[in-house]
Amino acid sequence: MIMKKLKVTTAIVAVALSGTMALSDGYGPFPVTLKGYSGDKTNTVSYSGQIARHVLEQSLKKLAGKGNGGGNAADLEAQMLSYFNGSDDDLPIIAPKSKDGFKIKQTSLHQISKGKNISGKFYDGAMPAWPGNMSGKDVAYNMIAMAAKSNKGFDADTGYDWAQLISKYTMGAMAYNQAVDNYLDEKLSAEKKPNNKPYKDGAHYTGKEHSWDEAFGYWGAAAHQHGFNPNKVYEIAKMKNQGAADKNGDGMVDLKSEYVFGPCYYAAAFDRSGTKSTNYTNTLFNAFLDGRKLITAAAGEALSDSERSQLKAYAATIEENWEKVLAEAVFKYAGSVYKDINKMKDLSGDDLNKAYRAYAKHWGELKGFAMAMQSGKSNLGATATKMNELMGFGPVTLNNSYVTGMDSNGNFVMDRKRSWSDYQLHMLKIQQMMVDQFSVKARVNDGLNDLQALTDKLDSASSAETD
Amino acid sequence: MDDINLIEFFLSDFINPKKRVFTGYLVLSVVLASLWLLFVKRQSLKSTFKKIFDRKILWSGSAKADYKLFLVNRVFTFFISPLLISQVAISTAIYMFLHSVDAFNQNVFASTPTSIIIALFTITLFVVDDFTKYVVHRWMHKIPLLWAIHKVHHSAKTMTPITVYRVHPLEGVLFSLRSVFAQGLVIPSFLFFFGNAVDLYTIVGVNILVFFFHATGSNLRHSHIDISYWKWLEHILISPSQHQVHHSIAEEHYDKNFGAALAIWDWVFGSLHLSENKGKVFFGLDTYESGKESRIKDLYLEPIYEIAKILKTFCIKLVSLLLNWLSLLRDLFLIQIKKNKS
Repeated sequence: MIMKKLKVTTAIVAVALSGTMALSDGYGPFPVTLKGYSGDKTNTVSYSGQIARHVLEQSLKKLAGKGNGGGNAADLEAQMLSYFNGSDDDLPIIAPKSKDGFKIKQTSLHQISKGKNISGKFYDGAMPAWPGNMSGKDVAYNMIAMAAKSNKGFDADTGYDWAQLISKYTMGAMAYNQAVDNYLDEKLSAEKKPNNKPYKDGAHYTGKEHSWDEAFGYWGAAAHQHGFNPNKVYEIAKMKNQGAADKNGDGMVDLKSEYVFGPCYYAAAFDRSGTKSTNYTNTLFNAFLDGRKLITAAAGEALSDSERSQLKAYAATIEENWEKVLAEAVFKYAGSVYKDINKMKDLSGDDLNKAYRAYAKHWGELKGFAMAMQSGKSNLGATATKMNELMGFGPVTLNNSYVTGMDSNGNFVMDRKRSWSDYQLHMLKIQQMMVDQFSVKARVNDGLNDLQALTDKLDSASSAETD
Repeated sequence: MDDINLIEFFLSDFINPKKRVFTGYLVLSVVLASLWLLFVKRQSLKSTFKKIFDRKILWSGSAKADYKLFLVNRVFTFFISPLLISQVAISTAIYMFLHSVDAFNQNVFASTPTSIIIALFTITLFVVDDFTKYVVHRWMHKIPLLWAIHKVHHSAKTMTPITVYRVHPLEGVLFSLRSVFAQGLVIPSFLFFFGNAVDLYTIVGVNILVFFFHATGSNLRHSHIDISYWKWLEHILISPSQHQVHHSIAEEHYDKNFGAALAIWDWVFGSLHLSENKGKVFFGLDTYESGKESRIKDLYLEPIYEIAKILKTFCIKLVSLLLNWLSLLRDLFLIQIKKNKS
């Protein structure tokens, strides 16, 4: 009798707590709902493994720029692989690191999570966007090897900027892929990771609670950023606003919950620029938050069909908007490449080399994001084929040649030439494709912006009068 | 749609300076007409007023039909416009095409002083727009299928500024497409060759040249106030009187003065007719049964019947031509068989 009363009381407290949490602004803490849990944990939110992987990705990006033209290639590749494949040793965090006015709490990986890697969570399907017919993961290994041999992460002959390629590609092949193709996909089924059982033996969180948290972790938002203006989110990611980041006021930014990582940073960046007509940051955050509240409210019971279909609707919102953020990035950098070519046309000597470096950086981001888009749940079909064709395997370089493939020894082949104007046309078509296929709205660096503005100004209908 | 929205929907052109019937232009037209009648025609103030606001003209059956068409066409435009190809689509396609031609260098004239770029763009846009108006207008008269549509406009027996809206919706579609193509060609070409300094000199948001065209009495071309210019100027700009000649029922005035603002096209292509002081010009169509110009149903449906008739005749001709060819082929075939046998 006493036990029964206790159970009822526990259930009431759990529901009351979840009600209180529902008023909470941030993503967590959320109470323990797992039936029969007798430990002392009170918060079920846990995604430190994902944070560790974001840190691995950012550190890897930094390392990709450390090559000295071949001299340190072997050591650097080994070091990069220790971040990509993980290491038993505690690795130092190379990025993000504290700077004046922005103190970061953690300095090594184990302070966040142990035993984490990127490679185990990396998209490994076909990746036709890269030469050599390799799988998604092999492309990453290829890029790491090339970066290690390069001079400061840049190969002027091919125009490849390895740091940008690796970083942007990983943002999709790891974070986006794991979230939309795993945690928000099969793990939302009734059979897998049910809500009336622990995620794994001994865990204090349920299967669904943790699956959802893992996806949230990959999105990279700060747990307390609910309702934040995108500028504030952007400033946290750029390490310019410790006040906004330091939720608990301990004078340090805790990477595990207070910092903003890649995917979410880009959402905020698009919300605050271009047409300023998007709200990706809050749309995604709210969908994650509402989904988590729904799971918590189930109070440790298996989710009903209607609850799961509601949860899947939140997941669909997340997936759709995340894909749009990636498409916005492709749109933006196609516009950057277009503008860079215009600049380069008027330059020569050192100025040209400098502009070419910036162009290669933007192209690396463009390509990386295009590959990220192709690492999701769907491989985009004909859209991907067309996009890859327009973008090519490499940028049009200073002598107009570009990478067309890879020979059997793994060397890039550059046996064709293309004019810069022609390549600019490709960039415009890529932008058009992002509008037509993904309905991008922020449209940063819109190559057709002037055209649209003039057209709007003229208003052809006003000239339609007849005589 | 509430009442205010409905009023705005139907009357928005009167408060839009991009439109010919903008109230400001109408007021200026009255001022110009008054000055013309008072100081050139030496008429009294009273008769000037009476002539400008002549009830027999403003409330004639033909004019009333204009007003009705104005309102009904607004509804047609509302539904048809979104179906037409957008200017952005055409501009984008042309802009992209320019990138694909290696011989064309983007921004090749970008170092031209901005003021010159803007002036060039303003003038080019106006001239191209005006030229395409001339061409399409000429087609409207010369091609029977289009004339069937354009007749609606020419059936007006009296003219007021609202007569500009006395057009069949199909003509509205054709002129919208013309505008879309004309601007869709000029905008991307300028942006490609001159860079993003391209802009327009405007007054109250309107191309400065279009503004002058309207501010100097474009509304009077559809009126009974026969303002004419000096002969030399009528070779360059179409005067209200010249456009009234275009609407004249007299045979010697047929297919003259197709131009909108510029008379140069008529001059070059041999359709110019200067204004003349031969007394009153009668407007309308002598082939039109009297009274039809005021019947809305006829104005909308007659062109459709006529187009159907033209197409039917064309199809009959085509079929008979095909039959002739077939019989010819059969004959040739039979001859060949005979030859083979012999």
